[in-house]
Amino acid sequence: MFTKIITFLIFFAVVGCILHGRRIIKTEKVDAVFGNPERAKGGTHWVIVGSSFILLTWLYYSWDIAKGFYPKSANELCQVAKVNDSLLSLKYLFPIEQRQFKSTFIIKSENKNIDKLGVEIQNSQDIRDQDKSKLLGLIKKTKKTIPLLTNEKLLENETNSKINELTNKIIWLTEDFQKVSYPPIKSLEEENKRIEALKTQGGWGSSGTAVEQTIEIPIIPETKKGLKFDAAAKELKIISDEFFKLRNHNPDYKSAMKEIKDEIKEYRSGLGDTHEIASTFAKDILKVARRIEYASIFPPKTLNAMQESLIEFDRVQKKEQGSLRYVDIFLFPAGTIVSSGPSCSEQGSGRWLPKPSDTLNKFALLLKPSVGFKNIPLIWFEMMDVSKIVGFLVPDWIADIIPGEYPVHSEDGSVKPNLKSKILNIATGEFKLFKIPVPMGHIWDSFLRVFLGLVLGIIFGVPLGLFMGLNRFAKGFFDPLIELYRPVPPLAWAPLVISVLGIDNVGKVFLLFMVSFSIMIISARAGASGTQLSKIHASHSLGASRWQILRYVIFPNSLPEILTGVRVAIGMCWGTLVAAEFLAGTTGIGFVENVAKKYFQYEVIWITIFVMGMLGLLFDVTLRKIIDKTIPWRGKG
Amino acid sequence: MKKIISFILASIVAFSLSISVANSAAKEVRVAFFLEWPTPNQEDKVKKLFDKALGVPVKWTNFANGGAMTDAMLAGDIDISYSQGLVPFINAVKSKAPLKLVDIAMEYGMGGTTCVTSNASGITKANASELEGKKVAVPLGTMAEYVFDESMKVVGADRSKMDVIQMDPEEGAAALVSGDVVMACLFGGNSIKAAVAVGSRLLTVQEARDAGILGIDITSVTDKFMKENPGMLRTFIEVTHEANARYAAGKSDMNVIAKDAEMKLGDMKETIGGFKFLTPAETKKSMESGNLAGFLKGMDTPSGAVDTSFLPL
Repeated sequence: MFTKIITFLIFFAVVGCILHGRRIIKTEKVDAVFGNPERAKGGTHWVIVGSSFILLTWLYYSWDIAKGFYPKSANELCQVAKVNDSLLSLKYLFPIEQRQFKSTFIIKSENKNIDKLGVEIQNSQDIRDQDKSKLLGLIKKTKKTIPLLTNEKLLENETNSKINELTNKIIWLTEDFQKVSYPPIKSLEEENKRIEALKTQGGWGSSGTAVEQTIEIPIIPETKKGLKFDAAAKELKIISDEFFKLRNHNPDYKSAMKEIKDEIKEYRSGLGDTHEIASTFAKDILKVARRIEYASIFPPKTLNAMQESLIEFDRVQKKEQGSLRYVDIFLFPAGTIVSSGPSCSEQGSGRWLPKPSDTLNKFALLLKPSVGFKNIPLIWFEMMDVSKIVGFLVPDWIADIIPGEYPVHSEDGSVKPNLKSKILNIATGEFKLFKIPVPMGHIWDSFLRVFLGLVLGIIFGVPLGLFMGLNRFAKGFFDPLIELYRPVPPLAWAPLVISVLGIDNVGKVFLLFMVSFSIMIISARAGASGTQLSKIHASHSLGASRWQILRYVIFPNSLPEILTGVRVAIGMCWGTLVAAEFLAGTTGIGFVENVAKKYFQYEVIWITIFVMGMLGLLFDVTLRKIIDKTIPWRGKG
Repeated sequence: MKKIISFILASIVAFSLSISVANSAAKEVRVAFFLEWPTPNQEDKVKKLFDKALGVPVKWTNFANGGAMTDAMLAGDIDISYSQGLVPFINAVKSKAPLKLVDIAMEYGMGGTTCVTSNASGITKANASELEGKKVAVPLGTMAEYVFDESMKVVGADRSKMDVIQMDPEEGAAALVSGDVVMACLFGGNSIKAAVAVGSRLLTVQEARDAGILGIDITSVTDKFMKENPGMLRTFIEVTHEANARYAAGKSDMNVIAKDAEMKLGDMKETIGGFKFLTPAETKKSMESGNLAGFLKGMDTPSGAVDTSFLPL
C-alpha cells in the first residue's frame, strides 16, 4: 500500500515538476547571459525530479513496484518457476533453446575424444606394440557402440513404447492444463490442509521480526493460477525423472558394452606395474565408454514426437500465464523468481537490491535498542556515572605521590581503606556520583571516531599549515615529511597502524587523524600563502603587530580554504573509517557492513550505506551552514 | 529534453540486458578453488585431465574465501565450487541461494582451522572460562567461527560473554602477537604458524578430533549447471574421486600438486596429510547420515540442499 502511494506520488511529482520547469522557462525574464551564475540559481523542482528518479529506479529494480501492485505475483511466479525447473532438464536435451540435440553434442564431442585418444596411443613411445594394437582395438570397439545406440532398428519395443507413453503423458498434461477444472479437486482433507498451511505462510518480503532472516517468497500456491502450475510442475517432475531413468540399452549394445568392460578388466589385470601407462590408457577408454553409456542417446527420429509435445506444452504454459507474463517482463527487470528445490528465491537485481519497504522495516528493527546488530544497538544511550569522567581526567599517579602506604589486609581478613586508597579510587573512577545519559551504539561509535580524527587533524594541521605558509624553516623542515606520506592512500596505512596501535579506537582514530591532518596542512598552507600582499602591507603601515597580522589578516583570509579542506577531509575520513572498521571491529558501521556481507544480509548492507551517506550529508550541511555564518567575506576579497 | 529521456531509456535497457547476458551459459566449465589448500585433483587440473574427461575446456579461478565463491556462483561466473567451506555454503543456502551440495571434497581435523590462546594470557583448556569478558578474534561466517563455537562448548566457556572481534586470520594472528586479543581463531598455514609462535592451541588436534570437531569442505554447484549438465557434473566428481584414490594409493605427483597450490613441498605434504579424502561410498554415508548430515542439522540448514545422485558409486 505504502509503495503504491509512493509510486503514484513520485509519478505525479515528476510530471508536475517538469511542467512547472517548462512554464518557468517561458515566463521568466532574466537578463542573465550564458555563463552568469544567476542562471543556476533556484530550481527546487529539479531537485525533486532528481530525487524522485533515484527512488523510482530503486523501487523498480528492487521489484518493490511489482510487490506493491501485484503482491501475489511472486507466489505465482514461484509456481511458474517450478514448472520451468521441472522442464529445464528435459528441454535441455532438445534443440528448443539450444542449437542442437544434447545427444548430438555428446556424440560429436565423444567421437572427437575417442579420435584424440587413438592418436595419443598411436604416438605413445612408452607402450609396447602389442599393447598398442590391443588398445586401438578397444578404441574401435568403443566407437562402434555409438551406432548401436543411434540405430533405429535396434531400438527395443519396450523403450519405444515407454517413450511414447511419456510423450502421451505430456500431451495429456498439455490438454488438461488448459482446462478450467485443472487441477482436479483433491480430497477435502488435503484441500483443508493446504488452506491451513497457507495461513501460517508469510507474505512476500523480508521478515520484520529478525535481522537474520532474508527475503521470503511464499512457496505454497495461493491462487488458482498458482495451483495449476504447481500441479503441472509435480507431474512434469515425475515424467522427467522417468525419462532420465530410461536408457536406450538394447541387447546388442549391452553385450558390446559388457565385452568392452570385461576385456579392459582382463587386460588391466594382466598388466604388471611396469605397464602403468598402458593401464591408464585402458582406463581412459573405459571412461569414454561409460560416459556414452550414461548419456541419454537415442536414434535421431525417436524423440521427435516428444520434442513436439514439449514445445507445445511450453507454448501453452506461456499462454496460461496470461497477464502474469507481462508482469514478469515489465515489473521484474534484470532477473526473475527462480525455484530451487524446496524454496523459491529472487535472482537478479531483486536479490542484491533490497526493496525500499523491506529496508525500511529492517532499519526500524535494527534501530530498536533491544535488537540492534550483534547485541549492540545502532544508536541509543546508556547511563554513565560521572565518576568515570573524573577517573578519566584525574591521572592515577596522583595517588602514588601521596605519602603513606596502600592498605594491607589485616589478620581478620578485612581491608581498611586509608586516604591513599581513597584517592586512588577517585583517580580510577571507582566511586558513585550521579548518572548522566551518554550516547552509544554503532552509529555513535563511527561518528565519534570520525569527529575525533577530524578535530585532532584541525587542531594540529591548521597551525602547522599556517606556520609552513609563513616560515621558511617550517616549510623546508616539514615539507618532505608531509609530502612523502600525504600521497599514500590512507588504506595502505591501515594494516600497519592496526599492528602498531592495536585494534581499539586509538588505531582507528589515528588513521583518520593522518587523513585529515595532511589535508588540513595543505589547505591552511595554501590559504596563508594566498593572502594578498597589499593587505599585509596595509596592516603593517597601520602599525599592526605580527600576532595581529596573523590573527586579523592572514587567518581570516585563509579560513575559506581551511573550511573547504575540512569538507574534503570529512569525505576522506568516512571512506577510511569503513576500511579501518573492516579490518578489526566490534562496533561501527563498517563492522556492521562487513559482517552482514558474510551472511548475505543485503538489506543490512544497504542500510549501512544509507546511514553513511546520511551522516556524511549531515556533516557537510552543518559545515556549509558554518561557512555561510562565519566567513561572509568568502569570494569577495 | 527528448535527448535526456532517450538517454535514460537507453541506459535502462542496457542495464537490463547486461544483467541477463551475464547469466547465459558458456561452452566451458568454470571451477572455483583455493590456493594453499592442496588436493589430489590439482594434478588432473594441471595435466588438463579434467578438460579431457569433460570434453570442454575447464577454467579454474582461485578465491580467498568461500563466501566469495558463493557470490561468484550467484552472479553466474562460476559453475562448480571445489572445496568450498561448509559454513559459507550453509550461510548461502540459508539466504535461499540456488546452490546444491553434491560431493564432499574432504574432511579435516583441527590442524588447518583452530583457536590459539596467547601464552601471556595464561589461558588454557583448564581455565578457559577466563576467556569471558576478554577479547577474542574470530573470522565470522567461516569454518573458524564454527570451530570457535564448538571449542567453547567443549571447554565450557560462554561465547556471549566474550568480546568477539571480527578479524580475518592474518590480522587475528597479528593481534594475538601484539597482545590485543587473548585468543584468535584462524585458518591457513601461515597464520597458524605466526599465532602458535606466541601461544598454544586451545585444543590439540587429537582433542578436537575426540570432541568431534572437524572441518568439512564440499563441492557445490549452481542449480542451473546441475540441471543442464548432469553428465559433466558426474564426470567432474568421478575424476576427482579417481584422483583421491590415486593419492590414497600413493601414486600422486606431489611436486605438481605443491606447485599448483603455491606451497613448498614439505608444507604441502603436511597440510594434505591432515585431510581425509572420502571414498564415494563413505561420502554418501556422510551426506546421508554421517558427519555432514549432523553438521547440516546442527546448523539448522534448510533441507533439500544435498544431492547424492552424482556420486560415482
